[in-house]
Amino acid sequence: MRVKEVNWSNKGLLSATGPLTIMLLLFFLIPFFMTVVLSFQSTQYYRLQWTWDLDIWKEVFSEYFIWRIMWRTLTMSALCVVLCVVISLPIAYALINRMKSMENNVKILIVFAFLADAVLKTFGWVLVLDKSGVMNGFLAWIGLPEIDILFSPTATMIGMVYNLVPYTIFTIYLSMDRIDRDLVRAAYDAGASRFRTFWEVTLPLSKPGIFAGAILVFVLSLGVFLEPKVMGGGTRPMAAELIRQSFETRVNWPLGAALTLVVIAIGAITLAIAGKIAARTSAANATLAQEDSK
Amino acid sequence: MTLKNMFSPNRREFLLSASAAAAAAGTGLMPRAAQAATSMRYMCWEGYDKPSIIQSFEAANDATVSIDLITDSAAGFAKLAAGGYRDFDVVSSDSPWIARMGPAGIGEYLDDADFADAYAGFYPQFQAPFTPLQHDGKSTGLPTRWGWVGPTVNTKFDTLETWSSYAPCFDPAYKDKICVMDWGDWPILPMALYAGIDPYKELDKAELEEIRKVLRALFKNTRAVVADLSVAQKGLLDGSFRALIGGGTYATSVLRKDGHKEIMSIVPDKKDGLNQGIIWMEATGIVKGTSDVEKAKALVKHMVSPEVAVELAWTDATCNLVPSKNAEDVFTAEQKDALQVDYAQTAWNGSHFHDVAPNIDDLLKIFQEELALSQ
Repeated sequence: MRVKEVNWSNKGLLSATGPLTIMLLLFFLIPFFMTVVLSFQSTQYYRLQWTWDLDIWKEVFSEYFIWRIMWRTLTMSALCVVLCVVISLPIAYALINRMKSMENNVKILIVFAFLADAVLKTFGWVLVLDKSGVMNGFLAWIGLPEIDILFSPTATMIGMVYNLVPYTIFTIYLSMDRIDRDLVRAAYDAGASRFRTFWEVTLPLSKPGIFAGAILVFVLSLGVFLEPKVMGGGTRPMAAELIRQSFETRVNWPLGAALTLVVIAIGAITLAIAGKIAARTSAANATLAQEDSK
Repeated sequence: MTLKNMFSPNRREFLLSASAAAAAAGTGLMPRAAQAATSMRYMCWEGYDKPSIIQSFEAANDATVSIDLITDSAAGFAKLAAGGYRDFDVVSSDSPWIARMGPAGIGEYLDDADFADAYAGFYPQFQAPFTPLQHDGKSTGLPTRWGWVGPTVNTKFDTLETWSSYAPCFDPAYKDKICVMDWGDWPILPMALYAGIDPYKELDKAELEEIRKVLRALFKNTRAVVADLSVAQKGLLDGSFRALIGGGTYATSVLRKDGHKEIMSIVPDKKDGLNQGIIWMEATGIVKGTSDVEKAKALVKHMVSPEVAVELAWTDATCNLVPSKNAEDVFTAEQKDALQVDYAQTAWNGSHFHDVAPNIDDLLKIFQEELALSQ
């Protein structure tokens, strides 16, 4: 294949990349720069003071409650990733292997649920989980005692998983769909059970999808706002709520800006680590493949 | 318009120019609103944007009014103070913030004489000069809606005597039965008053620590901290919340309007010599540099006229009292009952008039910290 070398004075290249560059500049880099600038100011009596100091950053790194909320956000996000992957694996597997005739219909249903407005879905869950809601109505109908999980971390997690699980379902589904069926048949021919075939063939080959889905869900979980507020009852705030409180309730824009940068940093570090792991894994796989071919 | 402004028009000027251009085009195909002589921008709380209120003003004044709804008074003020005031003509917000617009250089001072007719129809306590909206003897706005903050309770589950104090908020019997409204300083100030501390004066470290302890104890019994009124109201109706803290009449009267007369907002009894209730008030002021001061004044007058005051008192989202005594004559007995008009004087007598607490930054920080560490 011939690779054509072009430099930045090339008009074609400029016109092709220009719109994206302008978009990134306007909607990402400039706001990001303004957020950084804002984090070095202060607020007094609801008014922004252009002080250019490190006070806000000192507050961010010295206040225990901020890091407690960050830790809560990280653990909730990690748990959400695990649950999403665990739920998505059998769904994706069933879509490919057991529900071929219904595959498209199920995918459409998942897409519809995914595209429905998050506010509607979250408030819908309130009606389901409420003390006098659908769930307790059903439990009473079958003679079981009522469960009170609205305004609890469990309710928050239900909301997070419900809203984010389509990401893992589709990434894992795409990975599984690309697996060579001959490999699966070979495992069966060699006497492997369904579970062993899944464990030793399907699961390892689905790793890229699991990995991509996990990363997506983790990064998105860092910014969940509605679920802890509406379903969790707001008594265990997560990072996004902390940022909202700082911007809106406290009108402490510098603190809100600094906290935003902290969350962006956590997301970026996660992506960087994930990228490293992915690179190492593919390098290791390539080495193994080379050794096998010898 | 200055040369500088000509090349960097603000939204208000842009709308004005666009409107003029539309009028000049005179196609005859444009709707009436697009051909109005004046375009105005109005920042306000929900309710003020009611079509019946705005459309009658537009029709009478040949103007179009664009609405920007406030979800938080402090955030609205911060937006104006950060330069946003150039985009607006009139603002309806909580009275302390309207009162601050003049001194902050973002609000026009008003001559009470221009609004003499409006004041003539007000209750005595709202007559000019209305001190809470005065700065250096000059008026910053006119009062438009008011109510009180105290525990909001469902009398099907609790007697009013039980809530003659905030003490049940800290009673283990009420664990996971308290709902705190996530509305800025509103849940904090009543807790300060319960602690025997007047939050409207400068507080020392010991007093702030005392308020911290009360908030910590409150969060131990708190089931939810909600900003959404419908969630709070639903919980109050089904008994999962036994009291809303920080909501007051703003959260109550729309339920009473819908027939839930068991829901009431009351003012607790005096404690440690301190009134335990808080009177909140919304006011309407004119933004500095408005392009048409007369139209802006007309909008303020419109908002406090008895006919509009009744409309403003009675909206889908919330129902509240208005300062216009003339409006009371228009209320039906049913409306008066929903608004707890008979209780209004008792609430007024047992309350502080709301202002921005001098230590508001500290109080909000304490609230955020204690909420984060509560679970």
